[in-house]
Amino acid sequence: MTARIVSPVAGKVVGLPGVPDPVFAEGMVGPGTAVDPDRGPGVAVAPISGVVQKLHPHAYVIVDAEGRGVLVHLGIDTVKLDGEGFQLLTEEGAHVAAGAEIVRWDAGAIEQGGRSPVVPVIALDAPADRVTVTGADYVHTADPLFTWE
Amino acid sequence: MDKAEAIVAALGGAENIIEVEPCATRLRTEVKDATVVDEPALKAAGAYGVLKMGTNVQVVVGTDADTIASDIEDLLEEE
Repeated sequence: MTARIVSPVAGKVVGLPGVPDPVFAEGMVGPGTAVDPDRGPGVAVAPISGVVQKLHPHAYVIVDAEGRGVLVHLGIDTVKLDGEGFQLLTEEGAHVAAGAEIVRWDAGAIEQGGRSPVVPVIALDAPADRVTVTGADYVHTADPLFTWE
Repeated sequence: MDKAEAIVAALGGAENIIEVEPCATRLRTEVKDATVVDEPALKAAGAYGVLKMGTNVQVVVGTDADTIASDIEDLLEEE
């Protein structure tokens, strides 16, 4: 069944080539897209219904019932912040619905700290031709972002 | 040889590794000598890609990076 992946944040859809990190820009860990988030405090949500498989302060993976894993990475090089500025709102192993609140953060503060706050959303290990990204230029939180066949 | 052992060997062995830190999708490593890092061997060990910036070598291993990093740290402590 085709999975509908929703946007974890609100912002401009910039695509993976717009990510200043070759691992995401070249799709090394999978296809998908990226959202340049609205600046200011916000809450990143689950892009798909499933289990929280990995939960870092700056990144998380939700795996659906069919084993599809979606990675959300909040900003680039944000691992170096050591969790500062990120508040976890769930835990690993939790079952969540698409749109459920996962991490509270502030894209503007990330940018002021000299890092890109862009949010890659990745269909982990998916063949590139199985993913179809929305044609929308701007998405609100939990708007459709891409489908994964 | 498991994945962690294969990655340590491809990075030039435990004695060449200064630091290994996991990120969401990759291992951020610092090595003494980047010229002995064997990229084909890293890919054979399951790496999706390798990024080299001087002695900083990032090994893209996917979202099991935290597990692999702790396996590698166990190996390094045994040395």
